[in-house]
Amino acid sequence: MNTIYVDNNATTQVAAEVREAMTPFLTDEYFNPSSMYEPARRTAQALTAARQQVADFFHLDDPKQILFTSCATESNNTALYGAAKANPGRRHIITTTVEHPAVLEVCKDLQRDAYDVTFLPVDVHGNLDPAQFIRALRPDTLLVSIMHANNETGVVFPVEQLARITKQTDPAILFHTDATQSVGKIPIDLAGDFQYVDLLSFSGHKLHAPKGVGVLYLKRGTACRPFMIGGHQESSRRAGTENVPYIVGLAKALELAAANHVQEEVHIRRLRDRLEQGIQAQIPCVQVNGEGAVRLPNTLNVSCHYVEGEGMLYQLSDCGICASSGSACTSGSLEPSHVLRAMSVPFTAVHGSIRFSFSRYNTQDEVERILEVFPQIVANLRRLSPYWDQAHNAPRADAQSLVRDPRAATS
Amino acid sequence: MAWEYSEKTKKLFMDAVQGRPGTHLGEIESPDGFGEHGSIACGDALRFTFRVDRHPTDPTQDKIVAARYLTFGCTSAIAASEALCTMIEQGQYTPIQALKIRNQDIVEFLGGLPEQKIHCSVMGAEALEAAVFNWAQKRGVDLAGLGVDIHAQEQEEGRVVCKCFSLTEPYIRRKIRELNLRTIPEITNAIKAGGACMACHHVPGGLQDLLDETWGKAGKPGVLTQINLPKPREAAEPTPSISPYQFSKKVEKAIDQYVRPMLQQDGGDVEVVDIKNMLVYCRLVGACRGCPSALQTLRMLVERTLKELVDERIRVIEV
Repeated sequence: MNTIYVDNNATTQVAAEVREAMTPFLTDEYFNPSSMYEPARRTAQALTAARQQVADFFHLDDPKQILFTSCATESNNTALYGAAKANPGRRHIITTTVEHPAVLEVCKDLQRDAYDVTFLPVDVHGNLDPAQFIRALRPDTLLVSIMHANNETGVVFPVEQLARITKQTDPAILFHTDATQSVGKIPIDLAGDFQYVDLLSFSGHKLHAPKGVGVLYLKRGTACRPFMIGGHQESSRRAGTENVPYIVGLAKALELAAANHVQEEVHIRRLRDRLEQGIQAQIPCVQVNGEGAVRLPNTLNVSCHYVEGEGMLYQLSDCGICASSGSACTSGSLEPSHVLRAMSVPFTAVHGSIRFSFSRYNTQDEVERILEVFPQIVANLRRLSPYWDQAHNAPRADAQSLVRDPRAATS
Repeated sequence: MAWEYSEKTKKLFMDAVQGRPGTHLGEIESPDGFGEHGSIACGDALRFTFRVDRHPTDPTQDKIVAARYLTFGCTSAIAASEALCTMIEQGQYTPIQALKIRNQDIVEFLGGLPEQKIHCSVMGAEALEAAVFNWAQKRGVDLAGLGVDIHAQEQEEGRVVCKCFSLTEPYIRRKIRELNLRTIPEITNAIKAGGACMACHHVPGGLQDLLDETWGKAGKPGVLTQINLPKPREAAEPTPSISPYQFSKKVEKAIDQYVRPMLQQDGGDVEVVDIKNMLVYCRLVGACRGCPSALQTLRMLVERTLKELVDERIRVIEV
C-alpha cells in the first residue's frame, strides 16, 4: 500500500534536489567554515552563497540580515525574548490568540515576567479585526508578533498591512511575524510589501528541506538581543558552528520554491479545492474552518460534526493516508485546538476537525483515493455516535442543542 | 570564517615569507624615519622604517628611497605592510606626500580585503604616520606649521567591538564618557561605530552593553544609575487641544463635508476606523480599491483636508 502524505503543514519530504545539494557537505566538505585552510574556505563560500540565496528569495540587498538558526521555534524565541531584552523601556506586547505555541507560550512566559500582553481574538472565519488591532497599539508597545499563515487552518493574516500600520503609528514598535507556514507558499517581498516587517521566522522542513534548520530575518538596525551566545558566528547574533549542509539544503529548497511557485500553486490549489468540494458534496454536516478567510492554497481544515478526530486519523492511517487533527503540537496535551476554539468552533466540531495539507508531490489520484475512503470513515464513526440518527443520516434532533452554530454565536 | 584573500594578497604574503627578492622585509639601520604600531598583545604589530635621499636645503623635499617593515601578524597584515612599502618606493614620495596613502589605498592595492581584516591596513597607515612624525622631528620639520595634521593615535588596543570600522572596546568606552554619548545613534554619529552592518548593537559586549555599563541600564534603575538615566529623547505625543470627542466630531465633519462627496462621485467612500491623538486611521473603499497608487492619492487627499480644517499635525494611516 502506498503512503499518501497529506500532512505537509507538519513537515515535508526532503526534495531530491535538496538532498543532492547537501550531500557534498555531509561527505567530503565537512570543514568548519570558521577554519583557515583552503577546504574550509570552500565551506565558508557555500555558507555565504546560501545566505545570499535566502536574501535574494526575499529581495533583500544585505544578506547579513539573514541569521541561520536550528528551527522556527528557536527563531521565534530569539525574536521575542531578544526584542524584550533589548528594549527595556517598553513592556507591552501584542499577539493573537491563534499563534503557534512557539510564540504563544513565549508571550505567556513574558507575561509572568510582568510584561503586559494583548492577545487579539479572531472571528469565526479566523480573521483579525484591524480596528481592534489599532486600538491595541499603545505608547509603551514594544513588539507586535502576528503569524503570517495559520498552521492549522491556513488562514492568512494581512501581515504586510498590519506591519505598515504599526510602523506608521510608531516606528519604535518592532514587528515580528512567524512565517513558517507561508514561506515558499506565498511570495514575501521584504523590500516591497513586507518592508515594514522587522523580524521574520521560518524553518526549512516545511518547504522540503530537512528538519533542524531555520531562519530569523533581522532587519538591519533592529534592537534584538541574541539568544544563543558564545561564538562569533552570524556576526555574534547566533553563536554555534554553522549547520552547513542543512543551510545549503534550505537555500536550495527556497530556490526550488521560487522557481516553480506559479505552477505549484495552481497544482496544489486544484488538489485542495477538489478535496474540499468532494468532502462537502459527499459528507453531510461538515464545515470548512476558515472558509470565509484568505487561506493558504494547500490547507484544508474540515470539521465533521459528531465524530472524533482521532478515530478518523486511525482509519485514514489504516488506508495509508497521513493527515492530522488540529496541530500536532497541541494534540500532545490532549487539549482541543486553541485555534479552532478561538474561532468559536464548537467543542464537538473541534474534536471532529481534520487537516489535510498538500505539497507539490501530491497527485490527483491521491485526492481521489482520499475521497473514496473518507466518507465511509466518517460514516463508520457516526454509526457509533450517540448524536447521529442512522436512519436519516442526519444529526439526532436533540444533538443540535449540543452544538452551537458558530456563525450565530458572534454578533 | 576562512578568509577570502585576493590573489595579490596571497602572492605578496607568500613572496615575503619565502624571502623572494624584491620584497621589503627587514629593518633599515639608523633610519630617517621610524614608526611602530600595534602590539604583540593585540596580535598585530608593525615596525616601519624608511631612508630618504636628503635634500641639501629643504628637508620637506626629502624623497623616500627605501622602506622596510617587520610585521608580527596575519597574512593580510604582512601583505598590507608589503603593499605599503611598495607603494611608497614606487611613488618616490616625500614623507609628507606619503602620508596621503590611506588605508583605503592599501586595500585597493591588495585588490580588496575581507571586511574583518580591514584593520590590518589601518595598522600600516598608522605606522607610516608615526614614522613620518619621527622623520619630521629628526629633520626639524614643523608638520603642524605646514598644515599637516598627524593626530595622536586615538585607537586603544583591545577587543574589537565594531568590526566594520575596527573600533575597540576601550576606545568606544572612552568616547562614550568624553562625548557624553547616551544612545547608539549618538555613538554612530560621533565615531561611526555601529554604522555599517549594525550587528554589534545588541550583541553581548556590544554598543548597548557599553552604554548600559557606563550610564546604567534603562528600565532597571539602580541606586546610582538612576541619576544618570538618559532622558527620553522622543517628543511627547502630540495631543489635540480640544477633548477627544470634540476632535473626532471635527474630523468626521470635515470628512463629511469635503472628502466624502468627492469620493462618492467616483463610487468610493471613506470610513474612520479609529483616532489616536493625531493619528486618523481610515479605510478607503470604492472603485479604486486594490489600486495602490489611487489609494495613496486618496490618503493624501484626506490628510490634506484634515490638516487644513482640523489640525495640521494630523497624520492619516490607511487601514
